[in-house]
Amino acid sequence: MDLTVEKLVKMIDHTLLKPEGTKVKVKQLCDEAITYDFVAICINSTHIEYAVELLKDTDVQVCVVVGFPLGASLSSVKAFETEESVKRGAHEIDMVMNVGALRDENFDLVQKDIEAVVAASGDAHVKVILETGLLTDDQKRKACLICKDAGADFVKTSTGFGPMGATPHDVRLMRETVGPKMGVKAAGGIRNFKDAWRVIEAGADRLGTSAGVAIVEDFRWAQYSDSWMAPDRPCWTCPSRMANMAKQPKEVYKWYKERCLTCPDKEHNVFND
Amino acid sequence: MSNSSFYADAPILHVNLNDKSIRREQIPRDLFEKYLGGRGLGVKLIYDNLAPGTDALSPDNLLIFAVGPSTATRVPTGGRFVVVTKSPTTGTIFDSHAGGYFGAQLRRAGFAAIVFHGKSDSPVYLWINNDDVEIRDASNIWGKDVYEATDALLEETDPKAQVACIGPAGENLGLMAAIMTDKHRAAGRGGVGAVMGSKHLKAVVAKGTGEVGSHDPERLNNAVEWSRRLIKKNAVTNNSLPIYGTPVLVSVANELGMLPTNNFQEGTFNDAEGVSGEKLLERFSAGTYNCHGCPIGCGRISQIDGKKMGGPEYESLWALGPQCGINDLEWITIANDRCNHLGLDTISTGSTIGAAMELVEKGKLDAPLKFGETEGVLEIIEDMAHMRGLGAEMSEGSKRLAERYGAPELAMQVKGLELPAYDPRGAQGHALGYATSNRGGCHLRSYLIGPEVLGSPVLVDRDRSDGKADLVMLYQDISAAMDCMVVCRFTNFAWPIDVYAEMISAGTGIELSGRDLLKVGERIYNLERLFNIREGITGKDDTLPPRFFKPLPEGNSRNRVVHLDEMLKEYYKLRGWDKDGKPTKDTLKKLDLPVS
Repeated sequence: MDLTVEKLVKMIDHTLLKPEGTKVKVKQLCDEAITYDFVAICINSTHIEYAVELLKDTDVQVCVVVGFPLGASLSSVKAFETEESVKRGAHEIDMVMNVGALRDENFDLVQKDIEAVVAASGDAHVKVILETGLLTDDQKRKACLICKDAGADFVKTSTGFGPMGATPHDVRLMRETVGPKMGVKAAGGIRNFKDAWRVIEAGADRLGTSAGVAIVEDFRWAQYSDSWMAPDRPCWTCPSRMANMAKQPKEVYKWYKERCLTCPDKEHNVFND
Repeated sequence: MSNSSFYADAPILHVNLNDKSIRREQIPRDLFEKYLGGRGLGVKLIYDNLAPGTDALSPDNLLIFAVGPSTATRVPTGGRFVVVTKSPTTGTIFDSHAGGYFGAQLRRAGFAAIVFHGKSDSPVYLWINNDDVEIRDASNIWGKDVYEATDALLEETDPKAQVACIGPAGENLGLMAAIMTDKHRAAGRGGVGAVMGSKHLKAVVAKGTGEVGSHDPERLNNAVEWSRRLIKKNAVTNNSLPIYGTPVLVSVANELGMLPTNNFQEGTFNDAEGVSGEKLLERFSAGTYNCHGCPIGCGRISQIDGKKMGGPEYESLWALGPQCGINDLEWITIANDRCNHLGLDTISTGSTIGAAMELVEKGKLDAPLKFGETEGVLEIIEDMAHMRGLGAEMSEGSKRLAERYGAPELAMQVKGLELPAYDPRGAQGHALGYATSNRGGCHLRSYLIGPEVLGSPVLVDRDRSDGKADLVMLYQDISAAMDCMVVCRFTNFAWPIDVYAEMISAGTGIELSGRDLLKVGERIYNLERLFNIREGITGKDDTLPPRFFKPLPEGNSRNRVVHLDEMLKEYYKLRGWDKDGKPTKDTLKKLDLPVS
């Protein structure tokens, strides 16, 4: 892959979504985004005006989350939150899909929910978080198609608060489903340059991560050895390995685990690696 | 202060203990540009000036204390020093490092290094008070332990000075004698304290008040800000190490089945939780310790029965604990403190006790030592420092002890140096690092625990052997280069190679890229190798104890063995060494090293 530091920084949404995030941390986030020339920062809406002020006269975009992290609020509330955020200076909106409605196969509600946000977003880009760890592969595909039909600009894997983060498997599936023109954002659990490289290789063109600085700095190590990029054991990045009964619906958890039984790489599935 | 605020202008101090003469010598420009300072400077001086076959404990051996171009500048962790000599323990060239505050004082006094020659006819210490340097009588201090000696020397010189000294172990020429500074920080490994003792040199005391300059202060400030930001952004340097210190690794190593237990017979310690970093914090923490200029603060201060004591750090805690099957954290902390007082390397001390326990277990040695039992062990530690009874035999280290009792395979060592706290069966690259280390069984020449266990900078498969030769060489070379700056190895969690290169460039005016810096490290590594070959140490010594070619019976590293042969072949090839592990003429020419 022809990846450079310059290209990498332009894929990173430098992210701070923790509930305990303070103004000091937002300031640090913005300073780092300016220093490293990240494409955007991603924050909770309470910090919009402060961040917009800090980032004025820079190219760094302000991305704000909506309906976050559950996606279970009313469409009108999501639309209002979007409108207010854009009015206050947000350039991008990362909304959480109504996951329960999708699992109910109430696809009409899911689509209208997204359309309401898209309509309220003006010129801002809309990314839709699927929370892939709560879905089976068929549900992810369906969700991607709905997002595309609803006029969203990106599909995004995870909130970072759900059962699992971005995996190459999910990113690949999402890219294959939405095609080359729509954006795919990988978010959740991207902590180092190899995590980043894996999801970019799988088709992501945007990364949401709170480890943007470490990813970019440590990427400098890559030039000194090819061994960093040696293939990992397949299970290391497989969502089935990350499945967690305590955090997932029972049938979703079972679906992930049953994949292991027929997986061609199942001899690698040991738990002392 | 001397007239040397720039490292390149700072003199090397030559102290002849035979005739008590002192002279100053400028660092040759060529040497500075190729070896920078610190470990590189020391290795080059030893290679050029020590006759082959010199007895490490004879007056002819050289003992070098060196600092580097980053010392006492704003570069984080730049207060360390390195001791370079021929080791009496391994017979190899040896560099042993310590934190604390001594290095910064030596540099601020205006010096780049001190080279000790010869042997004094009576105990002495060196007192450096800025540009005034004096050899003083130490008869009344000889025999004191490290803490008593430090207090006495500070009272005799200046309370603001810093002391690097030996304890009874060094005076009695024990092969695991350390040089201690600030009482509980150690240039611990390789018996460097015995070399100091063999010269009747009890201590070096330094006080410096001068300014230390840099070639481009603004550029260096920018690099320092960059480096500090990275330390703050890194989970290891900003969270794990400041909160738990290095003992955070107990739980990590144990979980992976890599915590050597009962002399590496097992990789999982049942009572690991009881000796973990978390438990140390809960039970005995009385504060943390930052070396000069360090924003990390991994050092531990413990308190037991109202008495404060330094440590224990991970390696010490392991060596005196799980390696001996001991689960009593209070006892371990006290034993660690005793080693500090006596000036003993805790890794080699604990590891040798573990080897003795296995010799007893296997019926090879008759002694009141048993895995898991602390009774009598503190007395053994005292005996090791004072060369008494079985302690005298054990003070020579596990290799000589196990050979003496007819079971050399029970010594967990490489080239005579005891292995540290990671079972190599659990991490192939780390195993190769042990085998090829120029100073013997050492985890710090190539700390592949970073990528193989901690995922720093990224997680690589610890069980794969392919690709590991490449990473071992990379880590050995960058480690040698950062040892020329004389900064802490832990910076390596947070800083990529380019940060070190930028600091060197800004600090010295020698413009280096990351690759140039690696070449400096490679040059040093090869020169050390040449020294060792000259001393008769060959590729045959690049090996591990036979235990590591048999699988661990249980735990999360079970059924694994070290695949050394295949990694070693690849490693020699990448290094440009022949099949016997000797650098080829082309390699030496490429690195501008002497071709014999």
